[in-house]
Amino acid sequence: MVFAQAPVPRDIGAFEWLADPDSWTGTNGILASLADTVVLCAIVVVVATITMVPLAAWLAHTRRGEVSVSWTVTLSRAIPTFAVAGLLVPISLRRGWGFEPWPIFIALLLLALPPIFLNTYTAIRQVDPGVVDAARATGYTETDVLFRVELALATSVILAGARVAAVTVVATEPIRAFLGGDGLGRYVRDGLGQNNDGLVIAGAILVAGLAGLTALTFRSIERFALPDGVRRLATNTTP
Amino acid sequence: MSLTMVKKLLIPMVALAIVVTGCSSDDGDAVADGPTIQLRGQAFSEAVTIAEVYGQYLQAKGYDVEILTPAGFRTEAIDGLRDGELDLIVDYIGGSLTALAPDSPSSSNPDEVVAIIGPAYEEIGATLGDYSPAVDGDAFVVRGDSPANTISDVADLGYVFGASAQCFERPQCYLGYTDPAIYGITFSDTVTIEFGPLLGEALAAGEVDAVVWNTTAPQITEQGFKVLEDDQGLHPAQNIAPIISTEVLDAYGDQLLDDLNELSGMISTADLLAWNTETDIAKRESDDVASEWLEAEGVN
Repeated sequence: MVFAQAPVPRDIGAFEWLADPDSWTGTNGILASLADTVVLCAIVVVVATITMVPLAAWLAHTRRGEVSVSWTVTLSRAIPTFAVAGLLVPISLRRGWGFEPWPIFIALLLLALPPIFLNTYTAIRQVDPGVVDAARATGYTETDVLFRVELALATSVILAGARVAAVTVVATEPIRAFLGGDGLGRYVRDGLGQNNDGLVIAGAILVAGLAGLTALTFRSIERFALPDGVRRLATNTTP
Repeated sequence: MSLTMVKKLLIPMVALAIVVTGCSSDDGDAVADGPTIQLRGQAFSEAVTIAEVYGQYLQAKGYDVEILTPAGFRTEAIDGLRDGELDLIVDYIGGSLTALAPDSPSSSNPDEVVAIIGPAYEEIGATLGDYSPAVDGDAFVVRGDSPANTISDVADLGYVFGASAQCFERPQCYLGYTDPAIYGITFSDTVTIEFGPLLGEALAAGEVDAVVWNTTAPQITEQGFKVLEDDQGLHPAQNIAPIISTEVLDAYGDQLLDDLNELSGMISTADLLAWNTETDIAKRESDDVASEWLEAEGVN
């Protein structure tokens, strides 16, 4: 099986290339690359959310490890994603795990964890103590307090954390193309390597477009996912 | 700042002080006055060492040379020469051919390549020096246990092919390997890998079965790979050659070109391999490797 990889003409304009239906189809087409990128990013954000939200919620509810938590999160934000992925690639190759997906998955996961953790932790810590006391006085169990009061009131901030994580991950995922992988970053990589400015610009537009679309999608999720009580509260307090 | 850099800065200063205080002594290297020669290597280890060798050699001959921090690749080097930002670059002639005359047929005969790029460099106000016997060409590399000995042997092995993004659009690379009129190889898949040590890692791990590397990559022997014979003569001749701004050359006169040609004649392919082993495997600094080589050759 021959993989058609016809070179893109060097003098092509970014929009001319984007408008060509042939650019979108095939194994190296935009649609296939887009699917690669979206699947990886979705898995990263989901894994980050299902691990970090319970951990942060429990730590915040029980008021545990405040100093160590804040330090860990601050330091983890200083991790250089490209360097992590770049260091992991040779290790992964030597173990026979290939270029993908482990190195890029781990690097992106490290990028996605802090915003989700931090938003969940902060949101639950900032729930009005009066509300929590009132709930306890009414006879709520600790589990009820966590799930029906604290997490419910924190929903929008937690979702905002997931949005920040998702947009960062989508905007960073293209480094995968520079580490033996493919995905939406391949056009920037090929354009840079082949001295093809049109292709670089088109690739950048695609990546930025997907990041923008991700932000919009999360905004609408944030609007519809609020618990009824919280939404009523929000509409009542807004004049 | 490394100690060698400090030394390099101090020695000319001390030398200058001696010359200034003892003005009458006039026995040093007598070289015609001319502008400072701005030299910059391309940003990969072999090119950095080559730039250091040419720069330190000219400095030893008494020329005023500034060796700039390595940056960019061929495109940036040629643009710098064209814009007057750089006065001296060193390139591989086959690479210059693809940059300056992409539509010209490539040739494994260096004289044929030079016949095309010489005039092309003149057009941008530069003069091509004699090419060196030192060659760092494209290498089609497979693992040591591959049954193939020539690139043609790979045609039906269903190999997975790995190379840098540049390779996939070049007639002397991927397009030539897959062209039925040349090699007609059917690869089962392709992987784009950043040019460098990652090529060897991917080959060793079995992620790919063949990569395009350069013949003087020390990892090829280090990791037990083999270079297949280019039986169809697809790879262009890749001797190294200096290219100097014609304006600077006129200021110094033909002696400068003679000096450059003498140096080019001294460098061999084995030297390139030895330098790369020092810088890439032993992780030594390019400027030290260059000055040691020049010393061994009796220049410094």
